[in-house]
Order: sequence, then structure tokens, then C-alpha cells
Amino acid sequence: MNHGQQSGEAKHEDDAALTEFLASLMDYTPTIPDDLVEHYLAKSGFQCPDVRLIRLVAVATQKFVADVASDALQHCRARPAPVVKDKKQQKDKRLVLTMEDLSKALREVNNSSSLSSCF
Amino acid sequence: MAVAQICEGVEISTLQESQSREGARFSSFQESALERLTDVVVQYVQSVGKTTQFYANMAGRVEGNALDVVQALEDLGAGLGFNGAHDVERCLADSGVVKDIVRYTGEAEEVPFVYSLPRFPFNRGKRRAPSFSEIGVEMADEHIPVWLPAFPETKMSKEVEETNVEKIEGEVKSKENGVSLPSMQQSLDVDRSKVQKSMDQEAVLEPAEEPEGNPFLAAPVWVSEKDVPRVFCPSEPTNEEVTIGHVPEKQTNKSHHIPPLEAHAPSGMINGESRLGGTEDGQRKDGAITERALLRFKIGTRKASMRLTIKQSVEDKGWFLEDGEKREKKVEREEKLETIDTDVK
Repeated sequence: MNHGQQSGEAKHEDDAALTEFLASLMDYTPTIPDDLVEHYLAKSGFQCPDVRLIRLVAVATQKFVADVASDALQHCRARPAPVVKDKKQQKDKRLVLTMEDLSKALREVNNSSSLSSCF
Repeated sequence: MAVAQICEGVEISTLQESQSREGARFSSFQESALERLTDVVVQYVQSVGKTTQFYANMAGRVEGNALDVVQALEDLGAGLGFNGAHDVERCLADSGVVKDIVRYTGEAEEVPFVYSLPRFPFNRGKRRAPSFSEIGVEMADEHIPVWLPAFPETKMSKEVEETNVEKIEGEVKSKENGVSLPSMQQSLDVDRSKVQKSMDQEAVLEPAEEPEGNPFLAAPVWVSEKDVPRVFCPSEPTNEEVTIGHVPEKQTNKSHHIPPLEAHAPSGMINGESRLGGTEDGQRKDGAITERALLRFKIGTRKASMRLTIKQSVEDKGWFLEDGEKREKKVEREEKLETIDTDVK
């Protein structure tokens, strides 16, 4: 009985946390515009009048892009640098997002993701 | 445009988000890599929406809620893993995915989209067609209420006139831009007058036709007479019986060449044939009549005609009939005719 009550209270707290987070999203402006996310969600069949859910998806997508970009950055830094005579040029190594690094990062996501056909 | 905006957003986000603890950042991006990442992001958003709607439908709902979104995010992030993934009886509200997102929003910088999105143009509202009362037209028919929208026909007549005038004016302007000739303007003025006359005629004819109701009794469109060129009637009508047996190819070949026999044909022949000829030849065209007239002048035609008449007379006689005296008299007469004809030749 007590365990059930505690679980019920926990769930109630979890729900409150979620609702608070959704409310806080109204103050946070994601990089991806809401109209754009709403358009692609509607295109896939999910029409939601609640702006908070749209912002939740936008933030989740932004996090996904950040994870992929960070993986690509790691691959770019891990690549052995070419031999340069000048020491100055060696220090200022330009980090460029190339297709090679991106494909490696996406491959990891593709292998781990259940939707392998997407990426 | 949307793809370009995504590229811009992704570029900015990668510039900001790729900053690791060591302070490294992407200085530049390959366009092909950016485009590919954009496509991946679009697919990610669409997959989230699709999965969310799927879970909502599974629960018997039409609209998805926050828990459906969380469940969809867990599905897509299951490969990489999240906190609490091992727990089967986990609460969606306390999902690891939500916590990761909360942590991310706390750590990352808030970078709004740089460009301002243009608002989609909205419909100003359909313009209602004005009713009869608004136009000020009184309908004679009682069964048509005044508050109904007016027929488009009442407007079309005015619009057609306006368009015609506008077209003519446009033509005048276009031509004036080039070479302006007084003849062109005169022709345009004539066209305008014709258009106006046609419109007036239609307006006049229409009320005349309407009360009758029967299209067969309606007034014809063309009231004026057509100017038909006068037919040139040859002075020498030709014989139809002669032309029946002749080959048309000979006539076409000999159309321009007058054979010597025809040229030296006596006038008596011509007059004789004119008596025998029918009236139908006169109605034919001039070129054909002259050709046939020349070609029909052949020696022996009178003989053929005489032969036909002789044959007919012989057949009519009937040697097996009546008195022999009458026959003898008839034969004498015919012999006399033959002698006369030979003398004429």
C-alpha cells in the first residue's frame, strides 16, 4: 500500500517536472523555427496545436544535430594533420566539417538507430 | 527556402554546439556536408512526427500528447541509449530522454534564428458576388428573390465591352510605339465602329429573337445582300448531248489549242447546234463553257445527231404496224430532209 502510494506520488512528481519543463520551453527559443518544425511534423501526419510540444521536438532535433556535429568534430580532430613546415600554420589548424567526417558520425547513428533507412 | 533556413540554423547551431570543452570549433563547412545534414534533420523531424502519431493512434487518440512525443524520442534514441532504458516499467514523464534534453537546454547557449521568417500570406476573404438589390436591378420574375447574388451575365456584357475597348486601345498603343500610320488608325477606328455595330446588332437582334422563342423563326443574322460577281454568260450555248460521250482528258489537253477544224467550222454549224443545245450549259462557268464550246465543234456531230434521229424514227415507224402507204410517205419525207442537209453542207 505504501509502496503504491509512493509510486503514485513519484509519478505525480514526474508529471509535474515534465509540465514545468514544457512551460519553461516557452521562455527558451530554439534555433530551429517553430513554423518549420510544425510544417514537417504536419507533413508526417502529426498535427499538434500545442506550441510546447513543437518546441520540445525542436529542442530535441537541435540536440540531435549538436550530437552529430560533435562526433564529426572529434573525427576531424582525430585525423592526423599533414606535415607543415611553418609552426604557425600547424597551430592554427582549421576545422572544417567535411563529408567524410559527417558520414562517419551518421554511420554511428545509423547503426544504433532503429530507423536505419532514414540516415 | 526552408532548406536554406535549415542550413543557416544548422550552421549556427553547429558553430555554437560543436564547441567542446577544449574550445575547438568548426571554422567552416562544406556545402555538400551541410546539405546532407539538412536532409538528415528533416528526416529526423518527420520520423518523430510519424512515430508520435503512431503511438497516439495505438492509444485510440487522434491528437498526440507530450507522452507520445517522449515515447517517439525514446524510440529514435534507443540505439545510442539513454538513462533508464533498461527499466521496462519506467515512467515516461521521468524518461532519460527528457532529462538529457533538460540538461542540454541548461548547458547550451540560446541562439535564436537569425533571419526573420515571412508570414504566410493569408486570404483576405472571398469577395461575395453582389446581390440584385446591391446592383439595383429589379427582377421581373417573382420567383427570384432580390437578396440572391446577381447573375454573372449582367456583368459580362459590360466586361466584354470594356475588354474589347481595352484591347483596341492596347493595340493602338503598341502600334504607336512602332510606326504610327494614319491608315492603321483608320483601320482601328473602323474596327471599333464594327465592334460597336456588332454589339448594337446583337443587342437589337436579341430582344427580337427572345419573344419568338423558335430559333427557326428567328431573324437571320445577315440582313444585307451579298455582292456576288456577275456571271459571264457566253453568247454561244453548247450542246449537252454531244459532250456526254466525249472524254474529258481531251478537253483539258485541248483547252488552249484550237484545232484547225474548229477554227474553220462554218457558222451554220454553230447556229444549228445552238438550236439543239439545252439551257443548262449557260449556267456553267465561263471558262468551262468556252472550252466545251470550242471542243464540241466537230465534224460529224450533225451526222450523229441525224443518225440518232433517223434511228428513232425507224423505231417509231414499226414496219409491222398499219398501212404501207403511210409508211411510204414518211420514207419520202425523210429522204427529202436528208437531201436538204447534204446541200447545206
